Amino acid sequence: MTAATETTGKKFGWAAADLVVLLYAFIPVVWIISLSLKGDDTLNDGNYLPRNPTGEAYSTIFQNDDFIRALINSIGICLISTFIALVLGTMAAYAIARLEFPGKRTIVATALLVSMFPQIALVTPLFKIETAIGIFDTWLGLIIPYVTFALPLAIYTLSAFFREIPWELEKAAKMDGATPYQAFRKVIAPLAMPGVFTTAILAFIACWNDFLFAISLTSTNNARTVPAAMSYFTGATTFEKPTAAIAAAAVVITIPIVIFVLFFQRRIVAGLTSGAVKG
Amino acid sequence: MRHPGHEARRKAYAALGIAAFALGGLAACGGDDNGVPVINLYGGASAAGFDKIIADCNEQAGGEYEIVGNLLPSDADGQREQMVRRLAAQDDSMDLLGMDVTWTAEFAEAGWIREITGDQAAAATEDTLQPTIDTATWDDKLYGIPKHTNVQILWYRKSLVPEAPTTWEQVVEQAQKLADEGKPHIIGMTAAQYEGYVVVFNTILASLGGTLVNEDSSAPTVDDKTVEALDILSNFATSDLASKSLGNSQEPEVFAQMQNGEAAFIVNWPYVLSAMRQADPEIAKDLGFARLPEFEGGQDARATLGGMNYAISEYSKHPDETYDAAMCLRSPEHQLQTALESGDPPVAPSVYEEPEFQDAYPMYEVMLDELETAVPRPVTPLYQNISTIVSTTLSPPTSIDPQQTADDLESSIQDAIDGKGILP
Amino acid sequence: MSTTTEAEADIKTAKRRASEGKRDEARLGMMLVAPAVIVMLAVAAYPILYAIYLSFFRADLRTPDANEFIWFDNYVTVLSSSIWWQAFGVTMFLTIVGATLELAFGMALAVVMHRTLIGRGIVRTSALVPYGIVTVVAAFSWRFAWTQGIGWLAGDSAPLTERWPSLWIIVLAEVWKTVPFMALLLMAGLALVPEDLLKAASMDGANAWQRFWRITVPLIKPSILVALLFRTLDAFRIFDNIYVLTNGANDTSSVSIIAYNNLIRGLNLGIGSTMAVLIFLTTAIIAFLFVKLFGAAAPGQGEAR
Repeated sequence: MTAATETTGKKFGWAAADLVVLLYAFIPVVWIISLSLKGDDTLNDGNYLPRNPTGEAYSTIFQNDDFIRALINSIGICLISTFIALVLGTMAAYAIARLEFPGKRTIVATALLVSMFPQIALVTPLFKIETAIGIFDTWLGLIIPYVTFALPLAIYTLSAFFREIPWELEKAAKMDGATPYQAFRKVIAPLAMPGVFTTAILAFIACWNDFLFAISLTSTNNARTVPAAMSYFTGATTFEKPTAAIAAAAVVITIPIVIFVLFFQRRIVAGLTSGAVKG
Repeated sequence: MRHPGHEARRKAYAALGIAAFALGGLAACGGDDNGVPVINLYGGASAAGFDKIIADCNEQAGGEYEIVGNLLPSDADGQREQMVRRLAAQDDSMDLLGMDVTWTAEFAEAGWIREITGDQAAAATEDTLQPTIDTATWDDKLYGIPKHTNVQILWYRKSLVPEAPTTWEQVVEQAQKLADEGKPHIIGMTAAQYEGYVVVFNTILASLGGTLVNEDSSAPTVDDKTVEALDILSNFATSDLASKSLGNSQEPEVFAQMQNGEAAFIVNWPYVLSAMRQADPEIAKDLGFARLPEFEGGQDARATLGGMNYAISEYSKHPDETYDAAMCLRSPEHQLQTALESGDPPVAPSVYEEPEFQDAYPMYEVMLDELETAVPRPVTPLYQNISTIVSTTLSPPTSIDPQQTADDLESSIQDAIDGKGILP
Repeated sequence: MSTTTEAEADIKTAKRRASEGKRDEARLGMMLVAPAVIVMLAVAAYPILYAIYLSFFRADLRTPDANEFIWFDNYVTVLSSSIWWQAFGVTMFLTIVGATLELAFGMALAVVMHRTLIGRGIVRTSALVPYGIVTVVAAFSWRFAWTQGIGWLAGDSAPLTERWPSLWIIVLAEVWKTVPFMALLLMAGLALVPEDLLKAASMDGANAWQRFWRITVPLIKPSILVALLFRTLDAFRIFDNIYVLTNGANDTSSVSIIAYNNLIRGLNLGIGSTMAVLIFLTTAIIAFLFVKLFGAAAPGQGEAR
């Protein structure tokens, strides 16, 4: 077999694998899109694709001020939460993975404990605290819980990542005269980027899709995010579920995620180049 | 020595601080608008066309108060979850509560809603159907102002069913005949594990003259009538007149069973007519309607009431204005409007005589007949517990064993009353 | 003698510098970790402690003044109830089956996302779409799809009215949704496997399968364990998919659904908090097992410096 045929064969194989992935991802998504395009007359016909597609649902949701406002809230709150969780998480993860200090194990255990407690039991006390402090129904009132519950995963992922980066690199930088902070910023951080961006995507999506806190810690569209707003959609009567509108909203709010991921996925690249450790 | 970590931390704190200032300013304050009391409405504010009614009442108020409609989840359970949390925290930013008819006893017993007395009570119950007033009453005191109501009726395909049946046996008979002829024959009703199932069961039980708890909610009243009701359900569920997806059917599924030509009869709310006109005009023309069939010989069926009552929060700062706002929002004119725009039937018998209403609701006579003998679901502060117990114990419908299930119901309800055990 | 003194002085200086260095390091470490810890404690400490505190009381949200201290009675009530253990069994089943499938498919997906020769950007972005869709909407679309007559998957059957078909549909919904989560964490780990090693092995004649199992997997074991640990902890608390698909019908309730019914529907703070604590303890045991048995390195342990 010549090299060319081998590569073509490989490409073909990977293309087939790609196709499987795309089918896995999109078959149910196409069903959701199809639901969003179905009118009242074809909603219940059991067809995978819409027979009489109509963009009614989409125009309905975009005329809904609350939905637009909720989109803005979601984007703002999730970007800020992700950023803060990353900053705090990276600092903490580096310290845990690389440095020795008292209480390290307790902190790690605490982080895990925070992420393990069922959130449903925490909602009412959190509600009480927030109303007492006055941040109920504000952006900050959602950002703080989101950061809190994103930190454990961020710390774990990033520290697992930091641990894998060879210690020699840091030693080499130190021997060249860098302080621990400079070693961190100039040498380690760039190599940690894949872990950082992975955590960013996970934290963003977790915030974007959260339903429990969004419903319980907001009451007006000051801070209501999209999942909550979607649960407030009403149909024509009490017993009719606005299926098409909800599906349309779901499609629309997935688009920012797609953009966010498209932007970041190029940076989740094979991390260590082969030349980094030599010399 | 420099402390670069310190610097990074200070930056982070600064960012957090700035964010706090900037965003704390967005804190919601449910205060008053230039001295005009704001009445915050929670519940029913997002119904189709309701914002016009709110605007109308604000105009009529002439500066005495301003009603602001706030959004809540569209499902009753979600609404209750939010309201309860804030009422328990004595939140004063909720004034007017749109309560599902089953919450009255619970909210009243917990001291979350105010009693309505004297002239206010008289005005609130004027031109209002008695059964709906019953849903707003607990312990012989009035706690709510009925706003709208709802009853299920029997829908059928006129082309398949020549004469509307009057008893349950007739329904079964006609459906069986259709089945034998290979025509659509399913009798659709809601029997998924959720509140709608409790509604159906309550209708059957009440039509037989039975109840689940006694009047002051101190003991279960499970007896042979309960067993009889369970018997009817069980026989139906295991026959081939019930849809295969009976145990997963909520209102949309039951509606679809009629739309897709599976069902000859369905038990569903009045919205079916207007919805079917949108979904399939052919079938809509073929829709017939009738009272729910008699389950006990010679005794009219007793339909279960749905609907909503307005209540005044105990923690509201403007209870009198809230009362006035409620009376305006549910005035007979506005009840007519609501009925026409969002499909919520009125509680005022006078509206049923309006020609406009009669045009939009050709089944108004059937509805009025049923409403006059309708029953609430068990009136008890423990209704949520009992509802969960009933819907889980009776699920799936095909595995009901009448005597056993009745015994299970009795012991579970007794546990709930005693505060023992856990909810399934 | 002066050399010895000098040497001693040198040693002393070196030791002092070393311990100073260690102190600086410790200080830096604590300062870096402080903000995260402060946020986590400030927000979660009171709610968690309050929930634990309530579990020792008979408490109802409707009667806030009637709280009664009852020691461990709530725990006895919950742990002696067949409802709880039924839900526990279902949750265990869903967790174990789900996590296993998610690990296997996640690994396969991670490899494709990491190594595909064509369309890398499209594949990576598409693969994350299931994870990015709001869970309740996805669950609702699965329910719609599997409902007799109106869904494209159900045809004429009604799988959601029976226990085992329902459970498998729940598994399907969960796995579809969270395979990208696993794949993402695993892929971040795959990125750390040095190309040289793999090239060298392939030149030595190892095929793709061998390279995967002998080189890649051992090297990314920490990532696998982190991914599996977090996924298992999340899987045990499954709620949204079950709530929408069956609402717990046919004994498909998970422990979170039972906790929700008691806490939010029944407003029983005592029992609800007890269930929350029990769920927490179970996840703590699972985490403990992961760390001790499978050697999931809790960050900060291990690797000599």
